[in-house]
Amino acid sequence: MNAPFDYEQFQSSINRRTFLGRAAFGLGGLALANLLNPKLAGAAETVAGKGHWRGILNPPHYPIRAKRIIHLYMAGGPSHLESFDYKPKLKELHGQPFPESFTKGQQLAQLQNAKLMAFGPAAEFKKWGKSGQEISTWFPNIGGIADDICIVRSMHTEQINHDPAHAFMNAGSQIKGRPSMGSWLLYGLGAESDNLPGFVVLTSMGKSGIQPVSARQWSSGFLPTRFDGIQFQSKGDAVHYVGNPEGVCQSTQRQVVEEIKRLNGMLAEDRIDPEIQTRISQFELAFRMQTSVPELTDFSQEPQNILDLYGVKQPGDGSFASNVLLARRLVERGTRFVQVYHRAWDHHNTIAKDMPVSAADVDQASAALVKDLKQRGMLDDTLVIWGGEFGRTPMGQGTGRDHHINAFSVWLAGGGIKPGVTWGSTDELGYRFVDDAQKMHVHDLHATILHLCGINHERLTYRYQGRDFRLTDVSGHTANGIIA
Amino acid sequence: MRLKNWKTFGLRDPVGFCPSRSRWVIAVAVLAVSLSSSLLRGADSFPEKIQFNRDIRPVLSDNCYACHGPDESNRKAKLRLDVREIALKKEAFIPGKPDESELVRRIFTTDPDDQMPPPDTRHRLTEVEKGKLKRWIAEGAEYQQHWAYISPVRPKIPAVTNSKWTINPIDNFILRELETRKLPPSAEADKATLLRRLSLDLIGLPPTPDEVAAFVSDERPRAYENAVDRLLASLHFGERMSVPWLDLARFADTVGYHGDQNINVFPYRDYVIKAFNENKPFDQFATEQLAGDLLPSSTPEQKVASGFNRLNMVTREGGAQAGEYLAKYGADRVRTVSTTFLGSTMGCSECHDHKFDPFSTKDFYSMKAFFADVQQWGVYADYGYTPNPDLKGFNNDHPFPPEITVDSPYLLQRLKMIDGRIGELEKRFLAKWLADPKQRSHFDDWRKQSVRFLEQNPDGWMTLVPTNSADEKSKTATFTTNPDGSIVFSGDGAESGEFVFPLAAGGIAAIRLELLPSDKHDGKILRDKSDSTEIRLSAELKSPPQKAGKGLSFYHADANHNEERYSGGSAIIGIAGGWRTAKEFSTEPHTAVYLLNEPIQTTDADELRIKLGKNSAASVRISITPFANREPLYSGADEALARDLRSDSSPPSARVNEVYLLSANSTSDSFSDYKKVHREELACREGEAATVVTASWTPVETRVLPRGNWLSTDGEVVQPAVPHFMPQAPDEDGKRLTRLDLAKWIVATNNPLTARTLVNRTWKQFFGTAISSVVDDLGSQGEWPTHPELLDWMAVEFMESGWDVKHIIKLMVMSRTYRQSSNPRPEIHERDPANRLLASQSPRRLDAEFIRDNALAISGLLNPDIGGPSVYPYQPAGYYSNIQFPDRDYHPSRDDRQYRRGLYSHWQRTFLQPMLANFDAPGREECIAARNVSNSPQQALTLLNDPTFVEAARVLAGVVVTAPSDSQRFDKLYRLALARSAKSQEAISMEQFLKVQRDYYNANPEEADKLLKVGLAPKPNSASAPELAAWTQVCRVVLSLHETITRY
Repeated sequence: MNAPFDYEQFQSSINRRTFLGRAAFGLGGLALANLLNPKLAGAAETVAGKGHWRGILNPPHYPIRAKRIIHLYMAGGPSHLESFDYKPKLKELHGQPFPESFTKGQQLAQLQNAKLMAFGPAAEFKKWGKSGQEISTWFPNIGGIADDICIVRSMHTEQINHDPAHAFMNAGSQIKGRPSMGSWLLYGLGAESDNLPGFVVLTSMGKSGIQPVSARQWSSGFLPTRFDGIQFQSKGDAVHYVGNPEGVCQSTQRQVVEEIKRLNGMLAEDRIDPEIQTRISQFELAFRMQTSVPELTDFSQEPQNILDLYGVKQPGDGSFASNVLLARRLVERGTRFVQVYHRAWDHHNTIAKDMPVSAADVDQASAALVKDLKQRGMLDDTLVIWGGEFGRTPMGQGTGRDHHINAFSVWLAGGGIKPGVTWGSTDELGYRFVDDAQKMHVHDLHATILHLCGINHERLTYRYQGRDFRLTDVSGHTANGIIA
Repeated sequence: MRLKNWKTFGLRDPVGFCPSRSRWVIAVAVLAVSLSSSLLRGADSFPEKIQFNRDIRPVLSDNCYACHGPDESNRKAKLRLDVREIALKKEAFIPGKPDESELVRRIFTTDPDDQMPPPDTRHRLTEVEKGKLKRWIAEGAEYQQHWAYISPVRPKIPAVTNSKWTINPIDNFILRELETRKLPPSAEADKATLLRRLSLDLIGLPPTPDEVAAFVSDERPRAYENAVDRLLASLHFGERMSVPWLDLARFADTVGYHGDQNINVFPYRDYVIKAFNENKPFDQFATEQLAGDLLPSSTPEQKVASGFNRLNMVTREGGAQAGEYLAKYGADRVRTVSTTFLGSTMGCSECHDHKFDPFSTKDFYSMKAFFADVQQWGVYADYGYTPNPDLKGFNNDHPFPPEITVDSPYLLQRLKMIDGRIGELEKRFLAKWLADPKQRSHFDDWRKQSVRFLEQNPDGWMTLVPTNSADEKSKTATFTTNPDGSIVFSGDGAESGEFVFPLAAGGIAAIRLELLPSDKHDGKILRDKSDSTEIRLSAELKSPPQKAGKGLSFYHADANHNEERYSGGSAIIGIAGGWRTAKEFSTEPHTAVYLLNEPIQTTDADELRIKLGKNSAASVRISITPFANREPLYSGADEALARDLRSDSSPPSARVNEVYLLSANSTSDSFSDYKKVHREELACREGEAATVVTASWTPVETRVLPRGNWLSTDGEVVQPAVPHFMPQAPDEDGKRLTRLDLAKWIVATNNPLTARTLVNRTWKQFFGTAISSVVDDLGSQGEWPTHPELLDWMAVEFMESGWDVKHIIKLMVMSRTYRQSSNPRPEIHERDPANRLLASQSPRRLDAEFIRDNALAISGLLNPDIGGPSVYPYQPAGYYSNIQFPDRDYHPSRDDRQYRRGLYSHWQRTFLQPMLANFDAPGREECIAARNVSNSPQQALTLLNDPTFVEAARVLAGVVVTAPSDSQRFDKLYRLALARSAKSQEAISMEQFLKVQRDYYNANPEEADKLLKVGLAPKPNSASAPELAAWTQVCRVVLSLHETITRY
């Protein structure tokens, strides 16, 4: 057997089975029967097979450690030097020329043509928990879960501007049209929810250093569109078009969907076209989404102590806290991958003033998520990722820091990750990762994430334009050292 | 049969053979004689005679070439299997002696150290593939050049038994394969289905019930061909054909990177539509897009076409490095040209030689070098840290140069229409006030007052002299006043100005601001060293005893000289929001006229206060007029107007009527209607549109970038050149090749790829799957065509017809093959589930744009205008909230432009309109040759709840209920939506559904009212609200049916 999975072939074999099933059941008769007996209404579903995609990796390559992922995405590039990578030496050098031995021939963004000066960390650091991990005091709540998280200080990437760096962090390539991480996961493992999308994106804006994001960051690229991330909106319907039109209540909408199903069923009886069966089940799924999304976004079932834990002031206000809680509710209901963007980390200026604001925006909810998952017994098989698309220069840009690709920090928790450890390190000025055995390129992070999800990153491939593509392109090494 | 084959080939142990698939294999083995193995997937079988291109290359390419192929840097053991001589030299095999061949030993061995492909890779050979390789070596291990790189030669049209079935040569090629497999073709589809198919395929719109009825009853032998000709001649043909082309050209309204700002480019879309409609020969079409600007005395149209090279994503992100982005732009163009014209994946050779095809890295960069002359900037901005003198002062609202301004036929047409509307409006206004005695006397007073004013001010303008002086508090610059009313500033810095003017009784309809050259300031209109200043004028009317003044707003203003200011990439219309003086006229007087949003009547006690925001004007003068003009600078009065005003003829002249409307009826409906239409007129920008084009400058140096690293300067410098292994472009005296040479090479008749790529892709549009199914890769990893001879025949036919696109399409849709029923018989579905042999047509779900168009057309809402600027369909609020630099807002089109076809939708690359995205339209960030076709819950939600579809349903309900009985209404609805009548089973089901809906909406009429308010369209009055609502529900059902969005 040829190893690369052929989606089209798989689909056509499903379609064929569906077709044979159809012939056996005789859907048209069923549809008519529905008119008389609404209890039979669900039967077409059986014929069409379960609506949601079960993944092409069955069984997966490795035991699954992380069944679901919540990616807390700090868009804009949070400074590692004010968060998870303390550099006292840089403090000493503050205001002096930055050694050229570090920077010569290296890429710069907004510091192009500028004199490079060292800029000491603006935040205080301290050691937290039993593990003694060093975390800035701007993140006291994350400090409080230091023993649950693994800090990776040796992250590096290849793209120095936001847009391509987001593409790289999400899809492992700066070339557009490549599938994002969540899409690959969904394609590989499928969803566990019949009623909700398997890959959901939530965005919240933040206050300063705001960066745009793009729908391509959760695009399925050349993978089938069904693996796209679904962005939940903070205003109006959470999911586009999930609300009934004005003047149509849930039960009349149900009647419409039933009637569409009946008529599509009659068409299916006339024609050999498996797409009709799929269409029928997609309408079912859509209707179930119409019912389950309002339930999902209704926080009234959440006790006050949980709202307080996350710091949710107004449920559904689009704040990071509200979105993180929504993310937990999503994964509880079977969503595979949730990405929660906070878009305010581009601190070119007044970092000492602005970064604490962003930190305060996310600190409590990020830590609350880990605690909450833990108390629910979900942390063991839920992976939490916290980080941005790149780091920031140890050189100052006025009172802030520029984009930086040679070093940045992320942290991971749960889902098979070793808790309370630090992985990788940077040089004394935080300019570049040093220990090659613990370096973490974006491809390595992706390989590690896939591994935790039971996937060998070299074997989850999709053929496009004659080539078998994968999330990690042609490289990537699993960081076994951080896997528990 | 299968086992016999195994024996024949002397295989010892057919392991890995999956018993459950045996039935399959037997069923299809018969079929697979000359078809590739990938055609009938999972159905490996042995052909009579091994053919390298069909049987061996796919196996070697897929499993071996990565290490033993064209890519030198990754080659293992210096062995390459893609070149026979080298494979022989390395003794990979001995022709005719499989048992002594190393390759055979390596693929059959179970020793993991020797086994090929190595067990730790993901490559595995099937037993059948191993058998094929072995037999190929036994038969002499002959190679063939890859089929797609051999120039096509017109093959003989094959003879078929059932020659009566064939209409044109396409049928011979198809039927021969079917006859070989004893698989009879399907019967012709019924006529109504055929017409619906043709319409949706050729113009992307459904046929009207009348068209269907006429076609069904047309018994003439040419009836079908007439329908084809009619549709090919329709102007909607160009719209339909543009959609896939715009995917390839990566046409979008925004730049794609980071802030995703708007780019001006819709005239390019109009060019594409027009080119298809005029049946522009494809060679010309391709040449104009790649090199229209380089053609001798190139026309505006050809320059517009060259916008193709400018449709790559670009950035203006702060901190972006120009060099890095120029590398990205260049690579994008190579991928685009390669996919669009060559059906090749040259993009793979950006970092290394292509692993499967002979494209080298040098080929990639040599192709990129063709575009080294394209005038462009890596970062379209001017940041302090990365200054860009070419684009000085550029911010996020600026366009993306170079652009040209061209006439837009759509806008010119619209202007004419608007002009007509203004004429109508003025006539109606006249009739209205003539008929109203009160208004008549108002007019008479106004006319007399006007005549008196003109006696004092013959040109209709009264200059005002300020009574105040400079004032510390308001930071007004010090000034002096001359008898002619001119105000001269002293000082040399930018400061604001505020003036108080006493008024006389009368009317003010417009305010004039003049900037005058001043001797005090070196004869310039500016008082400092700058060459331009920006002025924001605001005005306030103070009427004692009220303390607070009343702000006066302007609805339009214009100046005789100004620099453009931009918003969202477009020049701001008018200067009401700010006026930037013209650099090149800084010693000439500047005049601006501001039209009052509400013309006023003043008294002797009133004061006019004018504020000029911070500016550096040298000298200004303020005047007022009671006479407004649609063209602000023509406000005031000329001789003709003065004469007309003096005459008391009734009715007054049209000119007087117009001035009266614009100057003295500020609170009337007519005036507010007029302003609305006038704004629409202004938005047409005098029928002109800016559009990005390719302009040529000195080519920049192009180097091979090792591993794609843009920072590297180690690579070889390359000149423009076509791929080294293909027929070469003529090289005149070693002159540097240009984009024009590239275009000529692409459409040269000895280019083996272009015609095949085009014909293959076009085939997919009409038959569902292309002849070589991977339309963007005709290379080694692509698919051996199901009907290679047909592909070649059509490619040659295409070229020899003079690249006649309509001719090739007509051949396809005239063929008997095309006309077959799309409902496969069970045996076809069993034997050829993907329908690659075409024993029937294939159903095809409509593309995103056409799903929208179809619903609008069925409901009668569709606006059939062709071309023009992009429009804004309904879209969920807040969808653009994640876009910054600048922040973006979305305003759905509020008039008939709401109902324009999907291809005119504003294409925001980072956040594509959700309806389009849900139905698989691409963001057009990259060149796309084939869209996904998915079937998702988001599609169901869109059909059910997107206001576009709900509105279409309620408008359609208004049409349907005009039929007298329920059954006639069902019939009407089905004929509109599906070009057929409802079957009795369907009608029974819908009747029950309708009854439930009627009961509900009769009991809940307020819900009916709500449903009937979705969208802009007026509520139909053809039935009561509950009845319309009930039918809206029925129409929602029908618009959501699978059949409705599928072309059968």
